[in-house]
Amino acid sequence: MSDPRPVPPDLPALVRAALSTTEDGARGAPTTSDLSIDEELSLHALAWEPVALTTGYAVVAVPAGAWQWGQGEIDVASSAHERAFTQALRRLESDVARTGAHGVVGVSIEREVAPSHIAVAVMGTAVRPRGAGARKGTPFVTDLSARDFARLVASGWEPLGLATGASFVYAPRRSIGTALAQQSQNVELTNFTDALYGARERAVERLQRSAMSYQGAGIVEVKLEEGPLRFASHAVGFAAWGTVVRLAGDQHLPMSPTLVVSLDDETRAFEAQTLE
Amino acid sequence: MTSSTGPGADERAGAFTSALSAADFAACLALGLEPIGLVQGLCAMQSTSFGRGVFSLATPMAPSGGYLANYPCPHGFVTGEHRPFGQNYEQTWLGHAWRDGYGTARTRLVDAARALGADGVVGVVEAETALADSGVLEFSLRGTAVRVAPGGLGTAEPFTTYLSGQRLAKAFEAGLAPVSIVGSFVSVRVWASCVTEFLLGGSPLQTWSSPSGPVEIDQLADAHARGRELVRDDARAQLRGGHLRAARLEIVERELGPGDIEIQARLRGNSLRPVGEAVALATPQPTLRLS
Repeated sequence: MSDPRPVPPDLPALVRAALSTTEDGARGAPTTSDLSIDEELSLHALAWEPVALTTGYAVVAVPAGAWQWGQGEIDVASSAHERAFTQALRRLESDVARTGAHGVVGVSIEREVAPSHIAVAVMGTAVRPRGAGARKGTPFVTDLSARDFARLVASGWEPLGLATGASFVYAPRRSIGTALAQQSQNVELTNFTDALYGARERAVERLQRSAMSYQGAGIVEVKLEEGPLRFASHAVGFAAWGTVVRLAGDQHLPMSPTLVVSLDDETRAFEAQTLE
Repeated sequence: MTSSTGPGADERAGAFTSALSAADFAACLALGLEPIGLVQGLCAMQSTSFGRGVFSLATPMAPSGGYLANYPCPHGFVTGEHRPFGQNYEQTWLGHAWRDGYGTARTRLVDAARALGADGVVGVVEAETALADSGVLEFSLRGTAVRVAPGGLGTAEPFTTYLSGQRLAKAFEAGLAPVSIVGSFVSVRVWASCVTEFLLGGSPLQTWSSPSGPVEIDQLADAHARGRELVRDDARAQLRGGHLRAARLEIVERELGPGDIEIQARLRGNSLRPVGEAVALATPQPTLRLS
């Protein structure tokens, strides 16, 4: 049986040669990346390369009084969230397009929902196939790590963009009679549960609509953030986002991983401190 | 490994010191690098505005020299309290102080390594501590000085890197050699215009049902965008022929008062230069671990 493992390189010789040479191997403009070395190697094996660290930011105002008691959806907050998210992504895309990259991977998403504004900050490393020219059309955006991006591509799929959906709703007020009657009981607050479901339905519907606008087959790694808001406990928010994907070729390419069993047992160390 | 090529083998005077973990130490030896000593670079930097200096009493028209943008009031004269204009400005004195402090600490780290005859410093750890209320920021960089075994290369300018252990080994395998650690800092102050303050404050008078829909707070978005752009440009200028890798960009937004915001952008990373031709690595084998 042949050994599938590659021959390990002669590291000391490699290091000595690399540190001895003063020859400038840099080709083209300096590139920047916040990928870990591991992630970079995943890309490297795929014949892709990092190009630039790219960012996008948007902040949208929410009018005063928006979070006070009301009924149904808090439209101004939901639309402010959508606007902030899409604007931040659009700015990220134009930052990526300026670098000539084909897309951006490992995008981190930070959302701030404050009483007076909603801010979205995104950041990731723009990438391209090694030596490739600029891509036609909008670059793709994905929050998948470079490793997951490599696995997705190796399976014959491609990321298209980030789909998002969010909804903020009021939890309807209980009548005084109901509140008093429920005061000494263990009881489900159906008004709150209903509000959460309402927010969820709207947010997921928007998420799907957003995915369809990319003409994707589906969304992977959907992230959900839900719950009451820190500054308005009678309002609940639900936000979802994920990477829209579609098949790049004719069919899915199965990966058939090799099974491995670790022979390590958990180390049982003698701890001297326990004697004290 | 024989004792004649072991770490510190010819350091008859004493044992070597290192901040490396046992795993990183083993990886370091596998790279043919022997640890010589734990080296440090320190610098305490005073800037008038790190604590409560005169500039923290922010006023528009603060001296700058860097990025500056004005946001005039669209209303004309309203009342004496109405802000006539807003400004975004780069607090260049803060950026200079930070970059000087970091750069000096880095130079001292390299000097200490050179004095030991090292070819580089691996596994750099960094601490940035503000001494309370004194306006002093202390930079501390420490790492393990190493040299190519046996004997070293006699490098004139030892490399520095935040990487160590297997990460560093893999970088070498991918055809990248470390050049230097890179750090930069930019501070942008937002002195809100009346419109920005109005939007940030969520005024009860605000009528928001404009046909154009949600209103963006452009002044704040501009400040965030420029802060990120400036810090990336500055880091790129420090690369010395390398590429910025395994970087981390951190953004801190602080509200110093009503309509007075500071945005800090810190970027750190490793400048690595490609050596030789880029060779595609073997495709990693997917595995599934059975427990």
